[in-house]
Amino acid sequence: METSITATCAIRGRQIFLNGTLLFEAPEDTAADLSDFLIAGYRHFGVSYPKFFKMDVLSKLAFLTAELLLPKAGLQDRLRPADIGVVLTNRSSSLLTDVVHQQSIAEPASHFPSPAVFVYTLPNIAIGEISIRHQLTGENSLFVTESFEPAMLVPYVSQLLAEKSCQACLCGWLEAGLTGHEAFFYLVENHASPAPTPRPHRVPDVELLYSQPHYS
Amino acid sequence: MINVYVTGIGMISALGPDVATALNTLQQSRSGLGPIHHVTTRLQGRYVAGEVSFSDNELAMLAALPDAELTRTTLLGYLAAREAWQHAGLGPADTARTGLISASTVGGTGHAEHFYQDFLEARVTPAFIDTYDNADSTEFISRRLGIRDLVTTVNTACASSANAIVLGARLIQQGVLDRVVVGGTDALARFTLNGFNSLLLLDPEPCKPFDANRKGINLGEGAAYLVLEAEATARQRKAPLRARLSGYGLTNDAHHQTASSPTGYGLQLAMHQALRRAALPPEAIGYLNAHGTGTANNDLTEGQAIRAVFPDQAPPFSSTKPFTGHALGAAGGIEAVLSVLALNQGLIWPSLNFAEPIPDHGLVPVRTLRTVPNLHHVLSTSAAMGGSCCALLFSQP
Repeated sequence: METSITATCAIRGRQIFLNGTLLFEAPEDTAADLSDFLIAGYRHFGVSYPKFFKMDVLSKLAFLTAELLLPKAGLQDRLRPADIGVVLTNRSSSLLTDVVHQQSIAEPASHFPSPAVFVYTLPNIAIGEISIRHQLTGENSLFVTESFEPAMLVPYVSQLLAEKSCQACLCGWLEAGLTGHEAFFYLVENHASPAPTPRPHRVPDVELLYSQPHYS
Repeated sequence: MINVYVTGIGMISALGPDVATALNTLQQSRSGLGPIHHVTTRLQGRYVAGEVSFSDNELAMLAALPDAELTRTTLLGYLAAREAWQHAGLGPADTARTGLISASTVGGTGHAEHFYQDFLEARVTPAFIDTYDNADSTEFISRRLGIRDLVTTVNTACASSANAIVLGARLIQQGVLDRVVVGGTDALARFTLNGFNSLLLLDPEPCKPFDANRKGINLGEGAAYLVLEAEATARQRKAPLRARLSGYGLTNDAHHQTASSPTGYGLQLAMHQALRRAALPPEAIGYLNAHGTGTANNDLTEGQAIRAVFPDQAPPFSSTKPFTGHALGAAGGIEAVLSVLALNQGLIWPSLNFAEPIPDHGLVPVRTLRTVPNLHHVLSTSAAMGGSCCALLFSQP
């Protein structure tokens, strides 16, 4: 049994990369707002999932990244839904939405908490959106760390795969905070035969994939 | 695989400031729910909640930390963690290869709600800002107990402290730690009261889990921790063995952010996984401490999950939320402590306020305190926003 990284998808600045190739770049004037940029990406790739528009930006970012990565990888043709795990990390948790909810209850005169906002005051909700969309029922976690730390993430996911808690895992970094955003997802799989383009699931390999492509 | 034992438990909740008081309250089948006193909210007087019946100052006195200016979440957490630590017979010298995994969903939000307006107007950065972070309570508790090796905080909403328990057990099984304090702490806050109210999920009256006429949740607060130890470590120091964590299951329901799938599929998978890890058949379960929030959706779908996992006969089961309220990030820990207590006492806690079964599954929970001489295995379940499901299986040591 081997364990390999089989695909990557990154959303950085106003660019979207699949397996290191730039697939979409929003014009500068439409990318000022993260939500607008993600909606532009959603439209560009012809995605059809109306609930996308109700999501907060963290979930939109997670959804779009997973949407571009998972169907092409064909994972669900090979594995049962309960065998696919999701382990993500980020820095700002659900802060952007926490602020919106806080503002809705801060002023007695304009006290109006919204269920549609409150639901997203937890970063795991983004994993929930991915799980609902792709019917993944395996275990999932989101770790909050200062920065993307392959040295923490890789051994954790390796252990899940080694103990057969899952056969494949959607992993990566999912950040949308006050100062910027970045998603970098990759798929790790247990498989019997060598992968077509073998990329071992090790810290240096994840670091290399994370650093390529560079911001342009 | 390394066996993981529970060697100590500690809890503060609406049932009382410690496990002994809670046991006494449970044995009298007396609910801890009541009017909201300590949170200043417009919802005061409109809803009942499982409030811990001490003010912040009284909690600080209990903790012997009168001047530390700690958040309610931190005070509750420290009191329960200290009790678990002492219950396990541990002292200041017992911190080698030891960790703390603590869950919280609101952290210092209560403090922030209190001081935020002043902060905005005064434009100075006061001390409370540092306590806002969920991890602030964890950091304080670890410093007080002298735990340094691995300290982290979990927030997966209503499954938070159940997930903290699983993470701790895994760290022991993988040889990273020999001992770990696991659980969670959450204080009531305007943030969560208003949030759940906006979701139309709060019952103004005491909740009625698994009843046909249930109307929703009562929020609660508190903290609960377990000391988990590797078998070799526990035996070497002749630690009291309270229970063995024999299995766990972690899944995602993959259906809806705030509603469970019609068959409670994620909970089914989690319970199956826990039984499989423990190599036990469903009929081995002597008591199921259900998630049982009292919402229309949860109790319907959780019942269907129980029917699916236990097709021949559902085990004796109850929801203890009518005793404690739903303490969110502390709920899984509180229910884990109540599960261990059930095993140790040979008692099954009743599901209060139940009158009429839900027609779709017809399940009837245990309604009065039941003595069970041979209680070997207790299962406890949690489900959370985002679809996270967790099952914990505790067995006689």
